[in-house]
Amino acid sequence: MTIGAWRVAAKAGSIDADPYTRAALARSGEIPLALGEGLELVARVDSSGRALDRRCVYRVGSHTPAARYWTLSLTDAEGFPVDNAAGRYGFRSSEILRDGDGGFSVYVSEVVHSGNWLPIGHVDTFTLALRLYDTPLAATAGAGGIETSSVPTIVREGCA
Amino acid sequence: MNPGARLGGAALFVAAVAAAAALVHFAIVLLVPVVASHDAYARLAELGPPGATVALPRGAPGEKRFPWADPAIAASVCRFDLSAGPVRVKAPIGRAGFASISFHTRRGAVFYALTDRAAAHGWMEAVVVTPAQLRVLVAHDDEDNPTQDLRVPSPTVEGFVVMRAFSELPSLYEAASQQVQMMTCATEPPP
Repeated sequence: MTIGAWRVAAKAGSIDADPYTRAALARSGEIPLALGEGLELVARVDSSGRALDRRCVYRVGSHTPAARYWTLSLTDAEGFPVDNAAGRYGFRSSEILRDGDGGFSVYVSEVVHSGNWLPIGHVDTFTLALRLYDTPLAATAGAGGIETSSVPTIVREGCA
Repeated sequence: MNPGARLGGAALFVAAVAAAAALVHFAIVLLVPVVASHDAYARLAELGPPGATVALPRGAPGEKRFPWADPAIAASVCRFDLSAGPVRVKAPIGRAGFASISFHTRRGAVFYALTDRAAAHGWMEAVVVTPAQLRVLVAHDDEDNPTQDLRVPSPTVEGFVVMRAFSELPSLYEAASQQVQMMTCATEPPP
């Protein structure tokens, strides 16, 4: 299921996982988050549908669906954190710098950026993972209950 | 043979090949979880014996065992084997912003989860049972003294339980890590 730039594998965290999801879990060794714990959204494209490109700067924001906590992190295509000089692999909702009205902007780029900078690091292809912990959305995720307007946008601001 | 019949024969052949390919495809997809030798359970078996609570490696560069792990989450795991009896799981909620336990089958699929919202006296607690053990337990229940146990039937005899704790700040990760390692998974006498 796709919501804006994000994909949700809502069924991965339940016994109803489809055969493709089960096969993928068995091969990757992933331990899925249960629906009752939260939701995991993964983006491999920006909000215009273009593949995420390490030569570009992206602004991710400015709000998320309701959740007790959320995190935004960057991984390689297989879901592993990417080495970077800043040692920064993600942001928590509880540590992020916010603007005046409570929104946030995370800047995803190779070179250092002011504000909440999420470094791309040494990798060709990267993905963004948004995790919503203890969210009322989990109950409706399978039924397409997440509004596109409620998830963060991933806007390409420029490319080297 | 007229050209039309030859075309029909070719179409039939293509359809037969496509059908056979689809069958093989689905058979392989269904078999992958059965034959995969390095699924989550196999990787967890390398960390410790059943019943032992072990820390899961934190998501970090160079750590390639468990993909899609949130670096803000400390996690621990214990494998269970219900053949000797039900397994009682206790997990402390501590000071982490969010804590939860999830119950997984031998193949990794989630069959139950609890969050700190369901904790009583500071602990999340559940008893993992087989459907047969559950029937015996229910048959022996005292109607005047109903059990306080949350019994969770597992679809598989073996499986694992994961505890997660959210660290609100990087400096709180260590405390979350110690908290999740306090989970216990104890085998109880068969009912």
